[in-house]
Amino acid sequence: MQLKASGATGAPTLRQALKVAAAGLLANGAAKAQEAPAKPPATSVDSGVLYYHENGRVQAVEPELNVAQKINEDSTLSLGFVFDSLTGPTPYGAVPSTLPQTYIRPYKIVPVGTLVPLTTSSGGSTVVLLPPASGSKTETLAATSIVPANTYPLDPSFHDTRVAGHVGWDQALTSTLKLDGGVAYSHEYDYRSASASLGLSKDFNAHNTTLSAAVNYESDLSFPVGGTPTPLTAMSGDFKGPDATRHEVDAVLGITQVMSRRWLSTLSYSYADSHGYQNNPYKIISVVDPVSGQPTAQLYESRPESRRKQSVFFENKIHLPSDVIAISLRGYKDDWGIKSVTADLRYRYQITQEYYLEPHFRYYEQGAADFFHYYLVAGEALPQYASADTRLAKFNAQTYGLKFGMPLNKGSELNLRVEYYDQRGNGSPSYAIGQLKQQNLFPDLKAFTVLLGYSYAF
Amino acid sequence: MQSICRHSSVNLRAKWSLLILLIAGAGTGCTSLGAKPWDHDLLAERAMQVDAYPLQSGMDDHIYFSKEASSGGRSFAGGGCGCN
Repeated sequence: MQLKASGATGAPTLRQALKVAAAGLLANGAAKAQEAPAKPPATSVDSGVLYYHENGRVQAVEPELNVAQKINEDSTLSLGFVFDSLTGPTPYGAVPSTLPQTYIRPYKIVPVGTLVPLTTSSGGSTVVLLPPASGSKTETLAATSIVPANTYPLDPSFHDTRVAGHVGWDQALTSTLKLDGGVAYSHEYDYRSASASLGLSKDFNAHNTTLSAAVNYESDLSFPVGGTPTPLTAMSGDFKGPDATRHEVDAVLGITQVMSRRWLSTLSYSYADSHGYQNNPYKIISVVDPVSGQPTAQLYESRPESRRKQSVFFENKIHLPSDVIAISLRGYKDDWGIKSVTADLRYRYQITQEYYLEPHFRYYEQGAADFFHYYLVAGEALPQYASADTRLAKFNAQTYGLKFGMPLNKGSELNLRVEYYDQRGNGSPSYAIGQLKQQNLFPDLKAFTVLLGYSYAF
Repeated sequence: MQSICRHSSVNLRAKWSLLILLIAGAGTGCTSLGAKPWDHDLLAERAMQVDAYPLQSGMDDHIYFSKEASSGGRSFAGGGCGCN
């Protein structure tokens, strides 16, 4: 079979090939979408469904809907709704061992004498009845799980649902001054969060420069299953302390500058000051034997009760003849000793005027929190703060993504995005003791996401 | 001690001078930055908006907030959830 060159100029370019592939779809939707609207849309709907899947761990489904409605020439009301459902095992924070390990956590309080099928499983755990104190009218059910030898300890009982919503208002005060505000509320089965925000933006230089400032106040309540544990106490099936609160104030200052007809630049600084309960109530840290490295105790983690976070974000968007490049950098540091850098690159490749493909690459690298330890050593003085949560460890991560977008009809866009996330840390620290030398203390985290988005303005 | 103070005051003055120069430079530079109102056609496209897909960037922020220690930058650092 003899292949012929396509046309006088040789092989077709990728853009030409994709144009041909999209031609059938173009016949209907794009032609309509190219018609200029008679007036700016009064209503816009933005929706999406995210599916998130980690290898052997958590998976989540998250549908979200945002609607914005112009009330008059100067005012816009926006409403949003999110639902999350998460299931799957998540790390305890404990180290693996050459021996099987048993973990226990409080599950439910029932009146004394309640018939409990002790073999009931709760997300892969076995429910056991703890002997009640004498005279007590209630008794505690605890969930136990056994982690096999040489296996990274994961809590099989993790599940969560979250419902969140927000209401916002944008108000143009003058042709160059805009005020916006909003409230948000989020409820999980063991956590709730309420926040309110206020922002102001001002255009200068014939709308080529925009200065913005915004503040947000967030008030959270944590009510973990089994109560709030006292930091650095031994893991047990007993019920723990009362609910815990956390408050955070955030501020963001930004400047957006039109550099030229094709170039937009944004620089922003954000500051957050958080006080109150910062622990993850389900995370533990192992205390190991100084010679064998075998766990001798499991303690609840202990984080400081305050945290100050600062970050600088810089983004440039450049419009090429038809494609758009977006490059952003972020530097972050906090008073827990964590520093990080994030680089993000998106290239929106216009197959046609309306159809596009957008490859995405993100690189992230962080240093460890001052109080991160893979484990504590028996016989040594307990530090004030200690966490083995690998999210506070030194690691790097890459995200690779591809998005395809197309119009369905006038004013609408349907897009599909697939991304792969790969997080790697040091699973074999050189100072590991005894049996820990043969264990992986930081298994790679690999996850993929599929996001289907639809937006419509009319 | 005095020489250290003098040294730091010189450093501070140098930093302030540099900052003033940068601001002055940016101020004069700004006159040539920007686009005429009739040249905002490309900037008006969705892809050129500061946060072109806010719903998706919000979902991304939520994922990264729950898997990494950093948050904030483009927007507020608070996660509004107990996932970290």
